[in-house]
Amino acid sequence: MNQLHKIAIGIIWLFCYLPTISVTAQDSVKQAPSVALRYFVHNNNIQYLLIQSRVKVGKKFQAVPGYPVQLYLDSNIAENLVAKSITNINGDAKVVIPAVLKDKWNASPRHTFIALSGAEEDLTSIEITKAKILLDTTTIDSIRTLNVKVMFLQNNDWIPAADVEMKVGVARAGGILPAGEEATYTTDSTGTVTVDFKRDNLPGDVKGNFVLVAKVEDNDLYGNLLIEKTVPWGIAVKPDLHFFDQRTLWSTRFKTPVWLLFMAYSIVMIVWGVIIYLVFLLIKIKKAGNEKAAPLKIVPGKVAVSD
Amino acid sequence: MKNTTTLTSQQITLDLLPQKFGRRGIIWTAALLLIAMVGAFAYYRQVRYGLVVTHMRDYVSWGIYISNFVFFVAISLVGSLITAILRLANVHWATPLTRIAEIIAVSAIVFASIIIVVDMGRPERFLNLMIHGRLQSPIMWDVIVIGTYFFISLLLLYFPLLPDLKILIGLKEKPGKWLNKLYRFQGSFWKGTADQFRLSDKAINILCIIIIPVAFCIHTVTSWLFATTYRPGWDSTNFGAYFISGAFLVGAGAVVVAMYIFRKAYKLEKYIYEKHFEKMGRVVVLLALLYLYFNINEYLVPAFKMKKPEEAHLTQLFAGEYAPLFWFAIMIGMIIPICILVFKKGRKPLPVFIAGIMVVIGAWFKRYLIVTPTLLHPFLPMNDVPESYHHYFPSWEEWAIAMGSLAGALLIITFFARIYPIIPIHETISENESTA
Repeated sequence: MNQLHKIAIGIIWLFCYLPTISVTAQDSVKQAPSVALRYFVHNNNIQYLLIQSRVKVGKKFQAVPGYPVQLYLDSNIAENLVAKSITNINGDAKVVIPAVLKDKWNASPRHTFIALSGAEEDLTSIEITKAKILLDTTTIDSIRTLNVKVMFLQNNDWIPAADVEMKVGVARAGGILPAGEEATYTTDSTGTVTVDFKRDNLPGDVKGNFVLVAKVEDNDLYGNLLIEKTVPWGIAVKPDLHFFDQRTLWSTRFKTPVWLLFMAYSIVMIVWGVIIYLVFLLIKIKKAGNEKAAPLKIVPGKVAVSD
Repeated sequence: MKNTTTLTSQQITLDLLPQKFGRRGIIWTAALLLIAMVGAFAYYRQVRYGLVVTHMRDYVSWGIYISNFVFFVAISLVGSLITAILRLANVHWATPLTRIAEIIAVSAIVFASIIIVVDMGRPERFLNLMIHGRLQSPIMWDVIVIGTYFFISLLLLYFPLLPDLKILIGLKEKPGKWLNKLYRFQGSFWKGTADQFRLSDKAINILCIIIIPVAFCIHTVTSWLFATTYRPGWDSTNFGAYFISGAFLVGAGAVVVAMYIFRKAYKLEKYIYEKHFEKMGRVVVLLALLYLYFNINEYLVPAFKMKKPEEAHLTQLFAGEYAPLFWFAIMIGMIIPICILVFKKGRKPLPVFIAGIMVVIGAWFKRYLIVTPTLLHPFLPMNDVPESYHHYFPSWEEWAIAMGSLAGALLIITFFARIYPIIPIHETISENESTA
């Protein structure tokens, strides 16, 4: 019985202690920072790269601020240096391709970006194919349609890009509200996605405009592509300025509530009216003194005082 | 015990005339001047270097200055209590105390106004409050009501002084050239005619009536500076009544202290009797019980519910960092004075004086406890702020300015007592005549 008791305690100990060892081991391991490269094209004219530096601590990735990274185009030689950057507090650095590399950039439809960490000479690279994304809209019989086309560059020709997954929708509160019934769409063999617009009665700005967006995210070949188009398909929403026009306790001094004005001024006028009357009485006292002098009301005599 | 002493009106006049400072008076005045000058120097430093010389930071933005302001506002209520309420209630025993009460009220309200300007980092911008002020702000209401109360208190001090000015002007032994000029400037028109007395009595009666709602307003509005702000400890519908009851108590406490000191310093035993201490002792004990009742309401009800956002604040007061000060203020400001004054023997001059000092000291710390701990416990947690923001203890400049302002208020009372009779001569004579 005693031995059984010992075995039971041993098993409980193992169950309790072993996971602790593994967790502790995981927690204590702090690996070298890793660098990730992401390529972005906005509205087909702004290309930039996002360098993200992370380190794995335990089970979580943490940003590595102040991490130096050198970025090269196609090969890590000095003349191909895109930028020397340092990650910000979020562990990110944004790099735009400089004008001096324009000829090299235009020379080929495919490029490789190489990130070189100054500290440990770790190489990270990303290969991209130049691509563009087009967004067009049509309205036939009150049916609004979005036509998105993705093309990539090959031998100076733009070729339709098939099987590219993307989001198509309306820019809303920092995200994309899907324009149709699907969350994502994939281009067909002509590189095209056609979406029927299902978001009627969507509020827009003061003129009824809102922004349509088509976005390709982290595609292996083309990176991140984004195209935006402003359309007058929304309901014009006028800002509710009525709130600021009201006479409230929290509005400006020119919008004081009438009841407060009435109460405050009434009290002030009544009280100060009395004070002015008292000053008037003082003037009367002064005049009364000039009319007739009388002896002071102090009568010598004996008076009883209690103690 | 009741003695009967015979006094002539000339003797009363001689007894109650303002007296030159003796040795103790000179030392007292010099000490107050020194404290006030140190305060003025500290304020020079504050204006020169900015509010950074204080220990007020982002969270505790109302520190010892605002505590002092609330204290001054509270103590100023005594004018309406002694002069107005007791006069309207036909309570004649309080006549010798009216001027003491009124000068305490005027000096306190003067320094309440000054200390608010001191609390401003840029005092020259005070005018902006008038130019760009919003009537929706309780601060604006406070500025209006303080100015109004000051003028009413000043008038209530001045009207009853007129007959005494006549006496001072008519003295054979002139008190001094400039003092005589001052008396003549202020009261040469008073001839003591029946018409003048009628008008003066009318004015005093009107003042006694008008000062009561204005006094209630000043204390209620001051309480609303806090109560209209959504913070632990201030979010109360009870604050107006709580402040008024506290103000009555500290005002009455200040009067008994002043009564005792003037009685001793000017040998006024024939005019401020033990009866006055007995009666004022009863007033103080009643007010202390009333204030204690409001304190129980203010602290017990939130403590019973112990809402999460208020928990830190209340715990700090009852058992935390501020607990010694909190219980000190409750004991010294209310419990011990009640224990002393509830017994007949405790209402003799010396015990009443000691209880009065306790009430005043307790009241000052109570105001500090109303203002500061709440600011250290905002509803949103204090994150990513320097360690010093989590605590508040006034810098030497703040202490010097606060003490300087208290000394300044006492200087006004001291100089007033040097220039004018601190007990109304004419009223005392009239009342003695009518008693006889």
